[in-house]
Amino acid sequence: MLSIASSELIQIFRNRLVLITSLIIPFAVCAFFVRQHETYAAIGSLGYIAAIVVFTVAAFGLYATAVTTLASRRQNLFLKRLRSTAEGDAGILAGLLLPVLLLAVVQVTAILTALAVVAGGPANVALLVVAVLATVAMMIGLALATAGLTNSPEHAQVTTLPVTLGVIAMASWVGISGTENLAWLKRLLPGGAATELTMNAWNGGVAVTDSLLLLAPTLGWVVVAVALASRLFRWEPRR
Amino acid sequence: MSTTPVIEVERLNLTYGDFHAVKDLSFEVRPGELYALLGTNGAGKTSTLEVVEGHRRPTSGTVRVFGHRPDDRRAVRPRMGVMLQESGFSPDLTVRESVGLVGRLTRRTDDVDRVLDLVDLTGRAGRKVSQLSGGEKRRLDFATAVYGTPELIFLDEPTTGLDIQSRDAVWTTVDRLRENGATIVLTTHYLEEAQQRADRIGLMHEGAFHREGTVSELTRTLPAVIRFSLPAPAPALPVRAAVDADGKVTVETFELQKDLHLLLGWAQDHAVELRDLAAGPTRLDDVFRAINS
Repeated sequence: MLSIASSELIQIFRNRLVLITSLIIPFAVCAFFVRQHETYAAIGSLGYIAAIVVFTVAAFGLYATAVTTLASRRQNLFLKRLRSTAEGDAGILAGLLLPVLLLAVVQVTAILTALAVVAGGPANVALLVVAVLATVAMMIGLALATAGLTNSPEHAQVTTLPVTLGVIAMASWVGISGTENLAWLKRLLPGGAATELTMNAWNGGVAVTDSLLLLAPTLGWVVVAVALASRLFRWEPRR
Repeated sequence: MSTTPVIEVERLNLTYGDFHAVKDLSFEVRPGELYALLGTNGAGKTSTLEVVEGHRRPTSGTVRVFGHRPDDRRAVRPRMGVMLQESGFSPDLTVRESVGLVGRLTRRTDDVDRVLDLVDLTGRAGRKVSQLSGGEKRRLDFATAVYGTPELIFLDEPTTGLDIQSRDAVWTTVDRLRENGATIVLTTHYLEEAQQRADRIGLMHEGAFHREGTVSELTRTLPAVIRFSLPAPAPALPVRAAVDADGKVTVETFELQKDLHLLLGWAQDHAVELRDLAAGPTRLDDVFRAINS
């Protein structure tokens, strides 16, 4: 698994397109939000900025990159090649996704640290870590499912749009308008509960037990995504 | 040497939707053997090979490789090397990185430089796979298959796109592996390669074996051929033959030695020159052509 992961890391840094979409774009967007944090804190709260950072990295750096990587490795039969070795399917997927995952976690950590330094830190760091991990798990699950519907890396630019735009819209909707109205709808749609959890962790003022209930919808989406992935994921291109 | 088959296939069936790709196929490959799986296009040989390699599940029937299910990767893969029909390497990795990665994942040990030298890619070791020619990619594929000298090697169209030097080099390496007891499963469209090297051939047609056996068992059922051109006019031939308008003669015979002797004696006696004389055993090509006739 680690051999696959290290070769993936080499490939990410050799491929300029992947490097730009997975690192530069999310980093630039987040840097903008952190720099303008007073404006966005006024619209929503600092927790809203934290949620936008988490979802920007998770949507572009993690989800879209993972879908593109899987589609491209399948299209050029690299997946079939890996499956011709002694490595199991789980090890292959873990190896392929680990570098993307690590890069995303490093980015989120770095940007949220920067936000904490310029604007003051989160109320509950442990809860924030839980929120980030739940979001990451959901996006990885959705990436595996989406990869099953994606025929090529080019096709990924279209197939990833609903989820990337969807979760960022959810983060903004929940982050700006809160959950006083339409609470159930906002919490059940993917990204809504995770946004609220992230905001609670950063802003404080909500009991931890109440916040932890918000994990349920996000973990529910992980289950749905994994179930979809196990039906949709393909190892070889369609002939 | 053990005589337990390396590969056992029993009543294998494979269907895609309502298309029956492989029908009740049974065969075995013995240790040290070079078994060639040949067939017409769409005969089901790639499907069969993919089941035996563990890439595809059979619809019914049993397949055992070294006594294990072929999808038991941990048990089977360290002992077998696979050369796929299409490459499947990452374009952004170098040749050395690709061999190293796939080699490590087979759980065998070997020296990457030794393997690269074996396929004459040492000079390309630092190049990205995307910069290789088609033939070089085939050699890279072959390198990963023979990494760590496995006991069983699948060669799916190994020499397609290779120039004659590379082709000879591939076969030299295969011959050396066989001297050390390796078992080879081969598919190829170059029938003369199969004819020269296969111990046994399974000839597939429409999902089943049209014939299975040694090369001579397969060719024995068809006549050998003697061909030459005759200057006109010529005396009556001593054997039954077909002569076309240009004076080209074709003799089909199950007694090649006797009829050839007769013909040569006749030509000597009548001072006739047999131009472009060629005589040989039945070729696999002819066995193939006879499938549909």
